[in-house]
Amino acid sequence: MIHIALACLLAAISARTLPQPSTTTSTGAGDLGALIAAAQPGDVVRVSPGCYRGVVTIDKPLTLEGIGRPVIEGFGRGDLILVTAPGVTVRGFDIRATGTDLDKENCGIRVLAPRAVIENNHLDDVLFGIDLRGAPDSIVRGNIVGGKNLDIARRGDGLRIWKSDRTRIEDNTLHDGRDAVLWYSTGVEVRGNRVERCRYGFHLMYSHGVRIERNELVGNSVGLYIMYSDTVDVRDNLIARNRGPSGFGIGLKEVSDYRVERNLLRENCVGIYMDDAPFRPGAAEICGNVIACNNTAMSVLPNSKGNTIAGNAFFDNLRTVTPLGRGDLYDNSFARGEAGNFWSDYIGYDEDGDGVGEWVHEPVALFSELMEREPRLAVLRFSPAEQAIDFVARAIPAMRPGPAFVDEYPLTQLPSGIAGAYAAGRTGREEEEGMGAVGAAFAALALLAVSALAALGGLS
Amino acid sequence: MSSSPLRPESALANTWTIARRELRDALRSRWFALNTAAFVLLGVGVSFLSASAGGGGGLSGFGRTTAGLVNLVTLVVPLMALTAGAGSVAGERERGMLAFLLSQPVSRVEVIAGKWLGLALALAASIFLGFGLCAAIVATRANADGAGALVALAMLSLFLALGMLGIGLLISVLSRRTSVATGLAVFCWLLLAFATDLGLMAGTLTWKLSIQTILAACLANPLQVFKIWSLDAAGIPLDVLGPVGQYTMDRLPNALPWIAAASLTLWAIVPGASAALLFARKPAA
Repeated sequence: MIHIALACLLAAISARTLPQPSTTTSTGAGDLGALIAAAQPGDVVRVSPGCYRGVVTIDKPLTLEGIGRPVIEGFGRGDLILVTAPGVTVRGFDIRATGTDLDKENCGIRVLAPRAVIENNHLDDVLFGIDLRGAPDSIVRGNIVGGKNLDIARRGDGLRIWKSDRTRIEDNTLHDGRDAVLWYSTGVEVRGNRVERCRYGFHLMYSHGVRIERNELVGNSVGLYIMYSDTVDVRDNLIARNRGPSGFGIGLKEVSDYRVERNLLRENCVGIYMDDAPFRPGAAEICGNVIACNNTAMSVLPNSKGNTIAGNAFFDNLRTVTPLGRGDLYDNSFARGEAGNFWSDYIGYDEDGDGVGEWVHEPVALFSELMEREPRLAVLRFSPAEQAIDFVARAIPAMRPGPAFVDEYPLTQLPSGIAGAYAAGRTGREEEEGMGAVGAAFAALALLAVSALAALGGLS
Repeated sequence: MSSSPLRPESALANTWTIARRELRDALRSRWFALNTAAFVLLGVGVSFLSASAGGGGGLSGFGRTTAGLVNLVTLVVPLMALTAGAGSVAGERERGMLAFLLSQPVSRVEVIAGKWLGLALALAASIFLGFGLCAAIVATRANADGAGALVALAMLSLFLALGMLGIGLLISVLSRRTSVATGLAVFCWLLLAFATDLGLMAGTLTWKLSIQTILAACLANPLQVFKIWSLDAAGIPLDVLGPVGQYTMDRLPNALPWIAAASLTLWAIVPGASAALLFARKPAA
């Protein structure tokens, strides 16, 4: 409290010493409202450092620009910035401590008019972060939004785009919120954002023509959940460690006309979850992704038909592509032309050196099949019994379950377009420093102990 | 026997003498050499494969070296320890060594304790040799799991081996012939490594056992305890073990190591102690 008061005082002092640009208005006083009231439409209002009390309502087309990161403070009550006029720019503010009322949806920046630009703001301790309601052609760029330290059920959305077509969401960081959600918004572009420790990274509802590129969705419950939307491109994203109880990297539910390409999905509970996708016939491509180290690479409801799943690299997933419930995935294609996917569990060889294995890849895993019927069996994973069961299934045809899918052209080399360096450079798991040294020391110690024991035993 | 048979020594000294003899015999025997070689080769193979697979893309995600080694240890280490224990008393009884040993001023409990200790040291040597070489491979390969996980895994393997050794000794004390003892040990290994899990699997499918029941059954099986604890210690999220693992993460996040330790401690103490008590009660062979 004291330093906030101090900051306000400092702000008031610095305001008087600031030069007054002729075409803009400048202020430092505690009341931004008066300043906005005095400004003409089209003005650039520069706000000097200091602490201002929300809510700040911007009801004419202005550029509100923070110089030296002025603070809009809510003291844990209500909303902070409300934009009601079209063409407003809000740039360079620290915005913190909204209320916690989910019914009123207390919000850091709420925009109710088109063509807003929300740029380089730092929002912290906010229930809802940036909320665009009927604000088409807006830009949300370079903001950092940190949610409230609340139970997930009591948090709000870090970013919500509601009926705001053609919005661009670029280079924002969202953390510790609920979702970043798009509702009924067409032609939105989502690029270069990072979302971590939220519930859903990005969540599309009835939003068509959306492009989602180069985002990093890490450590959420679900990375990207697309529902009831058409024409979606998901490219070059890193989607990792989304591990909620039903944690997906990417979830597709009743989506049509989509391309999921060149993404890296790793260490999620389920890499890609599909329910009735594609919903209508059309492009449905899951191509060129690296899907690695997930509990399940792809979990697909058998109502999903007509997907092309090709050119992906499946590495070290505990299970690869599994139908959920009874059924198979024969109505999906696991190859494009004569090129399928790379499977790290492929058992076969490439005799003629054309990069395609001579045996089809039809994974047979009786234990996985049993787990499908009874997920609780997973507790026996990594135990000899699991191998025993799978061995029996391979050895005795009568015990063998039918494969859930067949890749007729399994790749024996990494598909072109997936460079290992891409995966490593972009995502390299934080390597444990000095682990090599610890290993060497342990090896030396173990050898020492063994020789000591041998010497002890050798003494008679 | 370095001490004079005429002068009774303290129980600790007697135990230690027998332990040293047991250790020496073990280190010179074929089972030790073969088992150690097998364990080391397989362990190194697993580490090497795990470290080099993954396409070189830095994709060694969820502790595959650890998972591979856990699988290996649950197979090899119990077999080693069970057969080592099973061979010890029965073998000496068959060769007449036991009668000679018991004519010395040592108590029967000291004999069992000494054998347990000596074989435990031999098993430790074997396990640490195997893990030491695995750690050396990890040290040269940036792509493998951390060596810290290996240290934990080595300790837990030894913990598991102690329990299996006790069961082996119990079998040995109860069997008149080495062949019977070895057969029983292998049967016991099959039971613990495969039959209980397959039984649990069948039970889960048939009776829809509750998650708590399955977890309890797993925590009673030393091999499963070892596996779950090792995964946990290596930082692998237990949800890879499905709903039961999820339940463990949610409900017993901090208690798991204690429960696992308690289970393995019971397994390490009860069969070995029973072997000693039974052997002490039995009339001289």
